[in-house]
Amino acid sequence: MIFLIEYNRSEGRIVTFRDFDDSQRREAEDSRLEIELDLKRKGLDHEVVLLEAASKDALHVTHERYFADLRQMLESAVKTNGTGVPRPTIGDASKCERA
Amino acid sequence: MKMCKMAVSKTQIDRLGDRLKGGSHSESDLRLLEDYRRSFGEAYKAVVRTIRQREGSPTGRLAKSTRSIVEKLRRESIRLSQMQDIAGCRVVVANIVEQEQFVAYLRTDFPGASVIDRRDNPSYGYRAVHIIAMISGKPVEIQVRTALQHLWADLSEKSSDVLDPTIKYGGGPDEWRDFLTKSSESVAAYEKVEKATSIVVAAYEAMVTAHEEFKTGTAELLEDDLPDHEVQKIRGELGEWTRKMERAEQEVQEIRGKMVRLWNVNADRLNKMISWLDKLKGQKQ
Repeated sequence: MIFLIEYNRSEGRIVTFRDFDDSQRREAEDSRLEIELDLKRKGLDHEVVLLEAASKDALHVTHERYFADLRQMLESAVKTNGTGVPRPTIGDASKCERA
Repeated sequence: MKMCKMAVSKTQIDRLGDRLKGGSHSESDLRLLEDYRRSFGEAYKAVVRTIRQREGSPTGRLAKSTRSIVEKLRRESIRLSQMQDIAGCRVVVANIVEQEQFVAYLRTDFPGASVIDRRDNPSYGYRAVHIIAMISGKPVEIQVRTALQHLWADLSEKSSDVLDPTIKYGGGPDEWRDFLTKSSESVAAYEKVEKATSIVVAAYEAMVTAHEEFKTGTAELLEDDLPDHEVQKIRGELGEWTRKMERAEQEVQEIRGKMVRLWNVNADRLNKMISWLDKLKGQKQ
């Protein structure tokens, strides 16, 4: 899947979020350009990015910063230690898992 | 929307880069940049396809955002045509052992690729391995991060967004900078132990297998009518095996304990930063 994200960095929040099928790559690219042109006209400085991932969950793993605030990210990091067992563990074959 | 299909020269791209850097770019510049970014599409697809064949789960960034391109042009003495991360993807693996394995796969899949290993020489605390694969003359950046390296990078990036944009490059509030520096070092220390653990665990597992084989073999021998001194010898060797196993098991436990202690230090730091953030928020209100 392809995800189009318009992100307001200083506020740390998503302004626009759209998803596209893999076959709609051209449409996704066109939409991104339209947003960039619109931002230019309005004089706004947002980050506009196209990301491709197997699912929204997979996107959250690799690009959590778009979705969570800083406190949530710190809390999530602490929780990994909730059991007292260090993560990730040696021999854990799973890929793309958040520690 | 129709895109311009004309080939764009390196000079035109670099001039575009200059306008972007200077903030004087027009709407047609944005369209030209988009055209340039799209020219990396086939190379990007080839890289992602190869990674998926290795059972990696990449998240692809089809093309770098305009804002990130402008910032990089302003930050570094680099021309737009030299930028190697216009297209790229990120793979997050569980631990450093898997990271080394995955990087080895990529070296095989993309012979001649540049490998930038930032684990021993971090960039402002950022640790990861970046591989620049060249496909038909187009560079595609593959970021390979462990889950912990990724966690650190995410915190650095997010805090640069919302606290201070200079954090990513060593600036920002003292407390936060200190936290990022120390936690990067402690992730490095943790991963060093993690790597050592994998060697100890592999040796221990080999020992368990050998011990089982020895026990099975000697059990058969003991069923035979052996002279007493032979039986004593076998039992002695079995006893020695058991002691070796106990020592190895203890070593594995100790090393795991060390990992837990290292991780707990990090957790304390994270908790402190949650309190620091809350305090900061309270002051702003």
